[in-house]
Amino acid sequence: MSSDWTPIALSRDVPDGVTRAVCLEGSELVIWRGAGEAHVWEDRCPHRGMRLSLGFVRDGALNCLYHGWQYGASSSCVRIPAHPDLTVPPTIKANAYPTCEAGGLIWVGKEGAGALPALPATTTPVLSLAVATDGIEAQGLMRDLDGGRLHVFWHRVRPGKVMLHGVIEGSADVSRVAALMRQIRTQYEEGVAA
Amino acid sequence: MPKLYDYVLSGSCYKVRLMTALLGVTYETQAIDFYPGREHKSPAMLALNPLGQLPVFEDYGLVLRDAQAILCHLANRHDPAGTWLPRDQRFGQVMMWLGFAGGELMAVSAARMVSMLGYPGDLEALRAKGRMAMRVIEDHLSDRQLAGGIWAVGDTPTIADIALFPYVMLSHDAGIGHEDYPAINLWQRQVRRLPGFVGMPGIPDYF
Amino acid sequence: MSLTTDQAALDQWYVLGAVSHFPFGTPVETGLLGEPVTVTRRDDGVTVIGAGRSLPVRTTYNHVWTSFGTPARDIFALPEATEPDRRWLYCGGVRVAASGLRLIENFLDLAHFPYVHTDILGSEEKPEVAKYEVEQRRDVDEIWATKCEFFQPKAAAASDGGQISQYMYRVVSPFNVMLYKTPPTAPNRWDVIALFVQPVDETHSIAHPFMLVIDPTSTDAEIIAFQQMIFLQDKIVLENQRPALLPLQPGRETPTRADLSSVLYRRWLKEKALTFGTEPRTDGVAAGA
Ligand code: FES
Ligand SMILES: [Fe+2]
Repeated sequence: MSSDWTPIALSRDVPDGVTRAVCLEGSELVIWRGAGEAHVWEDRCPHRGMRLSLGFVRDGALNCLYHGWQYGASSSCVRIPAHPDLTVPPTIKANAYPTCEAGGLIWVGKEGAGALPALPATTTPVLSLAVATDGIEAQGLMRDLDGGRLHVFWHRVRPGKVMLHGVIEGSADVSRVAALMRQIRTQYEEGVAA
Repeated sequence: MPKLYDYVLSGSCYKVRLMTALLGVTYETQAIDFYPGREHKSPAMLALNPLGQLPVFEDYGLVLRDAQAILCHLANRHDPAGTWLPRDQRFGQVMMWLGFAGGELMAVSAARMVSMLGYPGDLEALRAKGRMAMRVIEDHLSDRQLAGGIWAVGDTPTIADIALFPYVMLSHDAGIGHEDYPAINLWQRQVRRLPGFVGMPGIPDYF
Repeated sequence: MSLTTDQAALDQWYVLGAVSHFPFGTPVETGLLGEPVTVTRRDDGVTVIGAGRSLPVRTTYNHVWTSFGTPARDIFALPEATEPDRRWLYCGGVRVAASGLRLIENFLDLAHFPYVHTDILGSEEKPEVAKYEVEQRRDVDEIWATKCEFFQPKAAAASDGGQISQYMYRVVSPFNVMLYKTPPTAPNRWDVIALFVQPVDETHSIAHPFMLVIDPTSTDAEIIAFQQMIFLQDKIVLENQRPALLPLQPGRETPTRADLSSVLYRRWLKEKALTFGTEPRTDGVAAGA
């Protein structure tokens, strides 16, 4: 599977107007959604370094909590409240990463990333689940279910911790699959390969 | 008029401030110098609450301690519709989460006192307990969300949500971020959208 | 962690807490500049032990001050401390996981009032920061910001309504700062609100707010609660700034005209070649250059 793209959240968990803080290999990212579109940026405001995940989405733009600087979908700063009449220079920009959504997941890409891996066309989201382990190898680890299949994607938070993202292909009882994912969590945390 | 003996940084006092705000109950407050003054251990305060803890709430001639008990009292006396403390089969579940909020989740409060105010205590052990409690809440809320719900119990907010909310939100003061908890992230936004909602230091007004 | 070798940081006076908050006879362990220190209060005075020796102690303004080095000047003068009608309030130390320099910079900042202290020290309808003046007073080696004005819905514990508050800021050493602000009850005088920062290590600090105010009506508990509320609103910001260390390298952050006092503060730190609590530079420029 291409390693240019990493799944970092379920699309369902970042609805419109919401920010979500994610840690990927020790780097802090913010996911936010405005006007339907998901964005993944460095979780750091260019002004005085505040984490943008503590900010708020308004009018399809992300606003920093510290001094209210507003960043549009293009990641350029469009408003500095302390200077209401200022036309903000276009050089003031948050650090945005390549982002896409597929298979019910939000993916962050390397600069110049190639095509996304092949994914099931329609999926039902189950859970994102933090697990204290290093031991997961295959992206998309699958389990056959009654009437469907569980795909488990993941990203590494930092050494010793991953976040699993489960989606179902086909139909299955999501609450039972959620329980299955928590069993997988227990197996990993107790050092037993699933 | 009801009276709250209050400390601005206390998550437990905040439970009472939030519930009264949501119910539209007006009350007076008396600021207690909990830190650094330890006024909650003064003879006058010990006379009101021999446990030497805040909050203390006076209403209808009663002197009540324990944030969870005060939430029950507020729902009982100030919510005629009975939606915040339902008496049907949800009652037991609400009580279960109240017990958890005043029990396991208080590890977050203890860790916060150590890391923020320098109280004595084993910070790493308290944090580990706090993370366990946060995981229990995350697992429960993610099940609720998979079932099409959002609140801790049933289809409407209850005092269970109000009892859980403060220390879930203040966990950052104990060094526990919310990166691991996507379901908590969605739930807390709904709590903050409730009509009459008020925040506290550490729980920003914008979100 | 061990004691810093940063001479500019060593040669300063630091507050370890209000004298009255130390119990008689029981040694209290705390930390300063990466090194454990022990404070003991006795009937005949206060002793501070650190790095295996007795450190110099002052109890100026009823706080315990110490230093590992040789400060170039004595503790700053505070004429308001002699005024008999002022109330002295010690708000208690609060631990913050951030560089102490970030705390000072936040204290100097007007532009965050509408968003961090919403409907108290600022409101979103009036976020503009009017031009103010900054200067480095070389005779006393202090940074001053004057003619600062901001609309405040509830400027202090004793406020009934909104007011345009006048502010002056005074940075007396890299980790100690104060502001002068018009009190609601005495518009022709200045309240003094100081923030003494104890840098425990490079990314952990203890903030000791201290107030010398004119307020004949509020209780001590009310004034302390107001100050703690304000400071704890800042804490969530301070602990979420990245990096935790203060960047001095040009281009790492983006100041505007509203940040003039922060720009001058950073320049002053560079001039002093202070590096404790600052982000290591990658542009090959040594501290102080
Ligand atoms: S740090 Fe984001 S607006 Fe100032
Ligand atoms: Fe502030």
